[in-house]
Amino acid sequence: MKRNIAIASALAALAAVVAFSMPAAAQDAALNQARAQGLIGEQADGYLGFVPGASISADLRGRVEQNNIQRRALYTRRAAERGVSVNEMAAAVACEVFERRIAVGERYRTETGQWRQRTAAEPAQMPSFCG
Amino acid sequence: MRTQLLTGLGAAIAVAGCIPVQIQAPDEPIEINLNVNIRQEVIVRLERDAEELLENNEGLFGPGGQ
Repeated sequence: MKRNIAIASALAALAAVVAFSMPAAAQDAALNQARAQGLIGEQADGYLGFVPGASISADLRGRVEQNNIQRRALYTRRAAERGVSVNEMAAAVACEVFERRIAVGERYRTETGQWRQRTAAEPAQMPSFCG
Repeated sequence: MRTQLLTGLGAAIAVAGCIPVQIQAPDEPIEINLNVNIRQEVIVRLERDAEELLENNEGLFGPGGQ
């Protein structure tokens, strides 16, 4: 009995370690599900955002914030290499994301701050700064 | 003497220049455009970099598609 508890707690500890060191690729299932459910969406500033009125769990909130931190790190590094501002690098990525990474049914936040839903009939409304 | 005169003149002009300015608060609320610093030509130049970031970091961005 004691041994079982020891094994169980060891497994729990291992699970916690795995969860915290989870690579970005392993996180996408939860985020993609939240995207499809309309809880979160891509924003014209190059980051993920929470759809107003959506009920966001603490877990999801953490995942989104973690994702945005990782994005910001990527943008910052590349912006420094190219001699542009972080916001400009983020905006350039947003243009690509709006062009091909927003699936039908997903919500997204436009340049002017409005949330819209991508429909099959039309592509996502592109920010004005995109080429 | 001349320097003093010139300095005085300069100060007088500066003061005179300041007095007539009246600042009126606009009736309309000021709209703040957050993208004011985004330069389109820079975005165009960064297109290849943006594509590369998406391709190399699949887990961070959605799959997109229909």
